[in-house]
Amino acid sequence: MADELKPDLELDLKGLLCPLPMVRVSQNITKVAVGGIIKATASDPGSMADIPSWARTTGNEVVKTERDGKNFVFYVKRLK
Amino acid sequence: MVTREEQDLAVKILDEKTNRQLLYYLDICTRCGICKDACHQYVATGDVLYLPASRAQLIRKVFRKYFTIQGKLIPSVVEATAPNDKLLEDLYRASYACTSCRRCMYYCPFSIDTTWFTSIGRAMLVAIGRGATILGELADAAIMKGENIDMFRDILIEGLKDTEDEFKARVGDPAATIPIGKKGAHSLYVALAGTHTILPMAIIFHQAKADWSLSLFEAANYGYFYGDTARAKKIAQRFVDEAKALGVQELIISECGHAYRVMEFLYEAWAKEKLPFKIRAVVDVMHDYIKEGRIKLKPGSLLEPVTYHDPCQVGRNGGFYEEPRNIVKAVAADYREMTPNREKQWCCGGGGGLVAESEFDTLRQVSGQKKVEQIRKTGAKVLVTPCENCRLQIEMLNEKNNLGIRISSMMDLVVESMDLPGAKPA
Amino acid sequence: MDWFSFIVAGIMVYVAVAVFLIGSIYRVIQWRRAPKSTVKQGMFPRAENPFKRTLKLGKDSLLFPQVLDTDRWMWFFVIGMHLAGIGLFFGHLRLLFEITPLYNALGAGGMETLASWVGGAIGISLFIAFTYFLLRRFKSPYRELSVPEDYLLLLLILLLVLLGDHLRLTHPFDLASYRDYMSSLLHFKPAFSTAITFSADKWVLDAHVLTANMLLIYFPFSKLVHAMGGFAGNLLRSE
Repeated sequence: MADELKPDLELDLKGLLCPLPMVRVSQNITKVAVGGIIKATASDPGSMADIPSWARTTGNEVVKTERDGKNFVFYVKRLK
Repeated sequence: MVTREEQDLAVKILDEKTNRQLLYYLDICTRCGICKDACHQYVATGDVLYLPASRAQLIRKVFRKYFTIQGKLIPSVVEATAPNDKLLEDLYRASYACTSCRRCMYYCPFSIDTTWFTSIGRAMLVAIGRGATILGELADAAIMKGENIDMFRDILIEGLKDTEDEFKARVGDPAATIPIGKKGAHSLYVALAGTHTILPMAIIFHQAKADWSLSLFEAANYGYFYGDTARAKKIAQRFVDEAKALGVQELIISECGHAYRVMEFLYEAWAKEKLPFKIRAVVDVMHDYIKEGRIKLKPGSLLEPVTYHDPCQVGRNGGFYEEPRNIVKAVAADYREMTPNREKQWCCGGGGGLVAESEFDTLRQVSGQKKVEQIRKTGAKVLVTPCENCRLQIEMLNEKNNLGIRISSMMDLVVESMDLPGAKPA
Repeated sequence: MDWFSFIVAGIMVYVAVAVFLIGSIYRVIQWRRAPKSTVKQGMFPRAENPFKRTLKLGKDSLLFPQVLDTDRWMWFFVIGMHLAGIGLFFGHLRLLFEITPLYNALGAGGMETLASWVGGAIGISLFIAFTYFLLRRFKSPYRELSVPEDYLLLLLILLLVLLGDHLRLTHPFDLASYRDYMSSLLHFKPAFSTAITFSADKWVLDAHVLTANMLLIYFPFSKLVHAMGGFAGNLLRSE
């Protein structure tokens, strides 16, 4: 597989309702170094818009999103 | 250290926000302290900063320094103060911790609205870059989503596929759809992010044969919590514009207390325009459907003891006391009232954006004790409340205090007690 | 009148009344001139019609039901103080105009007895109520909530009441002299009767009038404007 994105921190956000998945990513982003990656797994479809929007406005980057069954997986890279 | 420029900016915001209501409140408070027993945060912590009159006093100190004769002639007698670091730190805690429940306004002999002060406090802090970070991020993300909706539309619709399949199964109608962007629909329903307020309402609308369309946006307004009217207006405007474009007659706000308050009581004042459609709280809409016989509930179908929590923004600040109770009583075999209730009800402790701010987690837990006691006293096994913030807060209280209750939204309660032709939920 | 009395119990009275009236009107204009937010602030349940709304405004503003609900002792003293304040106003008015129907009913002697009992009771009630308010401010959390203004205002009022009580209670009450003085003020020729001029109470009367003047002058700039603005606040509640 080409996606050798190695997360520095994994967040299990399944069962959390929006906007809490986004809140958790925001709270944890400073726990990884600049350039580090958080892998967040959420079950709320609202996070599909929330987390990418949050990343854009805060100057971070969602480098990859994927579906994992009913869940949504985000790889968020800390840029600053 | 706060700079001189920042102080001037904060004072400028205060000046801009000064209106007739504020002048009354600034002048008439006698600091009698009757409000102390009204605030769940003061009662639980004994921290004087949380006493409603103390929260207001911070703004009053600054106002007196810059805008009154007394503040210039006898500053120490009236405690006129510049917005220094100490004051701004206190202002942060006093303003952002406030859940905007307005129970203190109910008990104030002069009806002083403390939220008038705490929202100005928040606005002043936002202006000088000291606002609550997470609320700002949430607000900006919501605005970003609104500005780039074309980018997200397909993703959002795609995300709803599973929900739509379940909806079809539940109502036993393979042709049933969740309408999005339906021109000329009677109502636009603004749900919360996620599907938990979409699926049950889709079922209810379908069974009631309602002509509706689902908004692409969520009702929650973190710009309002942040204390920034400009952001708050932009966030609400996303679905206001959508409603105008579709030409709907009513905008239905989901079970979200502050979102209803924003739309029914604040938006027109912010936007300086009269909206061409009605604002409805979803609980009122469901109540109408039941009253008109458009949906049928099974009386007494809920056997466990049930209680109802009045969300501040739905009850005291929204005006719906009996409608939600009627719905609960229609299905509950054993309904139990908490005391005090209605306009005197205790705030659950989770409003005002607090559920998103981890810095207030401990405060939320401690200040929820009044609610915990109330719930325990009823002996109820199910608590119903039509506000997402309340539910998140009470879920937390339930877990931390081993209350052993189930917390339900109004719409879930309604769907559970309807006879649906389709499959039972998995 | 000696020069001190002339300044304090003469000229200053006019200044104080003028500041009180003009200041209070100015404050009301200041409020009314500020733009009113169009946000409807009312709480629920809402009064259904203007009549009920007015009724609620009256109840909230005059009977303080929320205070009764929260703190019974405070309500007792607050309602007592305000009622005594109304009595006080009529008591002082009597120095200007006799309350004729009562006078006719009771006769001169009866009226005097009633006035001395009621006046005395009011004076003592006010002293007790304001002492309670002052002591309450030394208790937490009211202590932390209070600003120097709150104490100074209470001390000023207590002093005013105490001096008034002294005049009312310690000597045979010289109604005629006080009426002469009030009437002289009304005719812009302030003067004390011979009886007052040669009595030690002259200084007490001077001090009583001085503190009253100070209260009148400070009134429009203090939280005492709740006497006017409180109604506006309570009206917003049911908007």
